Amino acid sequence: MAITQDGVELGVKISEKAAEKIKYFATKDGTEGDFGIRVAVKGGGCSGLTYDLSITSDELPTDKIVEQHGIKVMVDKKSYIYLVGTELEFSDGLNGKGFVFVNPNAKKTCGCGTSFSV
Amino acid sequence: MSMQRSALHQTLSESGAKFHQQQGWDLPQCFASASEEYQTAVTGAAVHDMSYAGRLRATGADTLDLINRLSTNKVDELQPGHGAPTILTTDQGRIFDLIYVVNTGDHVLLITSPETQQPIIDWLDKYTIMDDIEVEDVTETTTMLVLLGPGADDALAQAAGQDSGLAQQLPAYGYAAIEIGGVTAQVIRQSLGDVPAFTLVLAPQDAPAAWRGLMDSGVSPIGTEAYDAVRVAHGVPTYGHEMGQAFNPLEAGLIGSIDFAKGCYIGQEVIARLDTYQKVQKHLVTLKFGPEAQVDLGTSLVQEGKVVGMVTSLSAISGGDQLVGLGYVRKANASQGSRLDLEAPAQGWAEISGFSQIFGPGE
Repeated sequence: MAITQDGVELGVKISEKAAEKIKYFATKDGTEGDFGIRVAVKGGGCSGLTYDLSITSDELPTDKIVEQHGIKVMVDKKSYIYLVGTELEFSDGLNGKGFVFVNPNAKKTCGCGTSFSV
Repeated sequence: MSMQRSALHQTLSESGAKFHQQQGWDLPQCFASASEEYQTAVTGAAVHDMSYAGRLRATGADTLDLINRLSTNKVDELQPGHGAPTILTTDQGRIFDLIYVVNTGDHVLLITSPETQQPIIDWLDKYTIMDDIEVEDVTETTTMLVLLGPGADDALAQAAGQDSGLAQQLPAYGYAAIEIGGVTAQVIRQSLGDVPAFTLVLAPQDAPAAWRGLMDSGVSPIGTEAYDAVRVAHGVPTYGHEMGQAFNPLEAGLIGSIDFAKGCYIGQEVIARLDTYQKVQKHLVTLKFGPEAQVDLGTSLVQEGKVVGMVTSLSAISGGDQLVGLGYVRKANASQGSRLDLEAPAQGWAEISGFSQIFGPGE
């Protein structure tokens, strides 16, 4: 189910709009230097697993890192298993949901879309 | 199979305990008279060796945050010295277990139901992805006492050589380390229904000295029979009878340990929906049985020829000559004072004497 870009496997693919928003939030928070977005999975949420996004410059030795649209996307080894093939999008507008995860591994997703189970 | 024994086995034996085997443990059933022990527990000060309950020691920066994401109550901001009951729920909103989470400052103590500690370790492990948490089963390496009754606070103060009791100093589920009989005990203010009570966690080698300290302060020992009678009479659900994956926390009367504003946790959507749309199907009730009642666990409760509930716990002690119990009854039939028939081969009737809500009605 992996998505590739120029022959490189992307753990998580981010859309151009999501990348723009990540840059916007990082600038707004005053983040400088070599930062990226960490996409992770945590236990919890209505369905058992929940997504976690953070802007950080801390890389883990086991991270899978692929740069997309000028943004470094970091996924730790354990979260990668749950996230492989996921597309991170951004939905805005009045009823927009913000960052949206389209995860092919999710068998069940809760109403608000931030929690899933595999 | 060899039975587990508490560090107090010898001490209890010398105090006249009669033992029986339950939940994999050799437990004190009673000392002299279970009904007198029951009276002591509800009018004076009694102590029960409850080492058979599970205890887990959790450490790591993400401990409270992880448990908060997996359970009904808000526990992520529990400060040292504070604790709370919370329910680990499945994604169906059913009860995995009711646990007491206590921040001792040094670690987080989790008090679980008997025999659920390993399933809980596995459950936490299943949902630990990158979190910093280590969980150790300390059930066998600690001893746990429950000191209960209206006189428990004064007796504990006396045993600790203090002028005033802990009840005023400690919030509900609050924690302190105190000295009893020359040894240190971890004390949690944790009532049993509306019976004031304290949980004491000790190193096994210290337990006999603490036990003697309590005896010297006028506390009487009680066995499993009297303890269970207090539990049943005061509407406290127990795992395997009223709690487990067949039930949700709202049915079990545990609404007071659900924080509806804390945000997501496993099963939260289901529980929120049950509450909002009042979809709870049945309620946990306390029951009084007729004088000639012949009843067993699992006996069906019947109204106008239709099964409307089931008996889940029974006690012959707490009601004097009268049997009392707990049971689940369909919402439409669960009204206080209403009388239900016992389905054959059981005989007699049961009256709904109240609703179980050990943590209050919620907010």
